[in-house]
Amino acid sequence: MASATEQSETDQVREIGHEEYDPIGTAILIGIYFLILVLLWLFMYFVEFLGNGPTVVGALLTVVGLA
Amino acid sequence: MEVTRMSSTASRTYLDQFPAEAKVIKAAFWSSFMALAIGGLLGLVQALHRTDVLRFIDPADYYTVLTAHGVLLAITFTIFFLVGIFTWAVTTSLDRGVVDIRFTWAWYIMMVVGTILVGVSILGGVVDAIPTYADVLFTFYAPLQAHPAFYVGLVLFVVGSWLAGADWFRTWWAWRKENPDERIPLPTFMALTTTLFWYLCTLGVALSILVFLLPWSLGIVDSVNPLLTRTLFWYFGHAVVYFWLMPAYMMWYIMLPKLSGGKLFSDPLARVVFVLFLLLSTPVGIHHQYLDPGIAEGYKFIAMTNTMFLLLPSLLTAFTVVASMEHGARQRGGTGYLGWLKALPWRDPVFTGMALAGLMFAAAGFSGMINAGMNINYLVHNSWWVVGHFHLTVGTAVALTFMAAAYWFIPQVTGKALWSRQLALGQVLLWFVGMTFMSNAMHRSGLFGMPRRTAEPQYQGFNFEPAVGTVGEINAQVALGAVLLTVALAMFLLNMVLTSFNDDSDSLPANTYAGTLSGPEDSPAVLDNLKLWTAIAVVLVIVGYTLPLASIVDSGGLFGPDISGFQLAIETDPALVLESVREVMP
Ligand code: HEM
Ligand SMILES: [Cu+2]
Repeated sequence: MASATEQSETDQVREIGHEEYDPIGTAILIGIYFLILVLLWLFMYFVEFLGNGPTVVGALLTVVGLA
Repeated sequence: MEVTRMSSTASRTYLDQFPAEAKVIKAAFWSSFMALAIGGLLGLVQALHRTDVLRFIDPADYYTVLTAHGVLLAITFTIFFLVGIFTWAVTTSLDRGVVDIRFTWAWYIMMVVGTILVGVSILGGVVDAIPTYADVLFTFYAPLQAHPAFYVGLVLFVVGSWLAGADWFRTWWAWRKENPDERIPLPTFMALTTTLFWYLCTLGVALSILVFLLPWSLGIVDSVNPLLTRTLFWYFGHAVVYFWLMPAYMMWYIMLPKLSGGKLFSDPLARVVFVLFLLLSTPVGIHHQYLDPGIAEGYKFIAMTNTMFLLLPSLLTAFTVVASMEHGARQRGGTGYLGWLKALPWRDPVFTGMALAGLMFAAAGFSGMINAGMNINYLVHNSWWVVGHFHLTVGTAVALTFMAAAYWFIPQVTGKALWSRQLALGQVLLWFVGMTFMSNAMHRSGLFGMPRRTAEPQYQGFNFEPAVGTVGEINAQVALGAVLLTVALAMFLLNMVLTSFNDDSDSLPANTYAGTLSGPEDSPAVLDNLKLWTAIAVVLVIVGYTLPLASIVDSGGLFGPDISGFQLAIETDPALVLESVREVMP
């Protein structure tokens, strides 16, 4: 087995094993990332469709009075 | 398996452990830095020229500059660094040297010779004394034609990288004989799976060059089928982006957790990710050809579906790597839902550079999803959006990770302490800021149709109309970003040079990588069955490419309709130019 894996860390104040570790912060960060992705996708709708003259969707929105 | 480091290796650097290998790795790194230095400087020339801030080259020479920038950065810089890192990874994790160091030098020298041939061929475009031409951009699409030396150089470079792969495999086979029952150590596993898909994808580009482009450039055949060679290029061209990315991923998996003060969250998950890249890197290339006529929509749709599956390993990576960083931060005393972020070692340039590179890669994930969608791709295709996108991926996620890694690796292979940590920290921050300006502005200009690969995108009787802001403001951001990036580049190179001359060799860290919270023994042994995964990867490629290639050959012929090449090395005889101008002007 490799002898080169790091074992000790000088700045370490406690040892957290596999069982007790719960990456909640990671879940939150990834949740935020997904939220940004969703918002950007919504934003893309404006860039892609509304910025480019009439499209099928644009025409529909005009019909129903949304744009 | 919890392993304690043998005390004999306690604070030994890589140079102490493997002095012979360290020399080759150091040479590979320096080859890589030289390409970065020249290529980066040319990037500044391009950015200033396009935005009309400073124009001192002939616009006809723009393509020579752009070819050199693309080839030197996307091919030379990245791959030389990769072979250095992978050689380190294999020898360190197997705890044994390469089988025959002469073989290692041989492939390195072969790659250097290839690079010199390619570089000189390109240089011929601007230096009259050199009779070559290669203004074909790094994609070398027919009917753009280069001097044979350019193609020969590329072949030598790629064959050199194949031999490097063979070197890592030989080393692993030798190790396996001595350790028949052990799992493949993770870093070696990463290097080997990456090598396997490199073999698979470079077959396409080798075919394209050896059977079509080189004979055509030599005049042995009269013409080629441009769509065929283009498709063969992209058969390789998507996988190569993962080839650049895998060493960066390796750094994120095995260095970032350690630097954060923790352990890799899951070794099995990391293996799954690399297996997925082996399977899916190649049968997706057609997603670069959504706008190519002559390829049926159905094939494009299959490529798009495969591409969306490729998001999976990247999202798995985001989770595993961030969770490992959080583990480190909490072991260092970090608390709270997000408060642990403060406990990360932000003063360490190696850590911060890699973390910022990862952050930029997350942003690139969004623009990549836009590129990958068949319909939305039409909006951004061949625009500066795409250039903005890949300066986040290869230009930052990869390049910044490599520069940050160099702050750790160069001391390891030279035995000399880093000259200045402060300068290094400032450098990674400045790159991040510069790229934020340049890439964001490039993305925005793509949205209103600013084309890429255009020396002077200023037209008479036509103005671009950004939805927000002005063209002037966007150009200013590109130019500013480019200047900041170039300054960051100079800071990096200065630090590397001064480190090489540093007398201080105290307090060098030992040559180690991250341990794991959940080790390989938690994963099924089948994950290490490289033959199985390679076989499936081959099948996927056959499924994804047979029909499109057959239909391209069927409709355009193997050697195409008679198309003679364009040799873009424009001989500008002033008298001739004047004459042709008179012809067009009334
Ligand atoms: C000093 C930093 C850099 C600057 C100022 C810069 C600038 C530019 C500019 C302005 C272009 C667009 C040219 C055009 O579309 O007409 C470009 C293209 C490109 N850049 Fe960079 N760049 C930098 C660093 C990098 C890095 C680090 C990489 C990769 C590792 C890279 C890879 C590329 C590639 C592959 C192209 C496309 C070439 C082509 O279209 O054929 N650049 N760069
Ligand atoms: Cu791609």
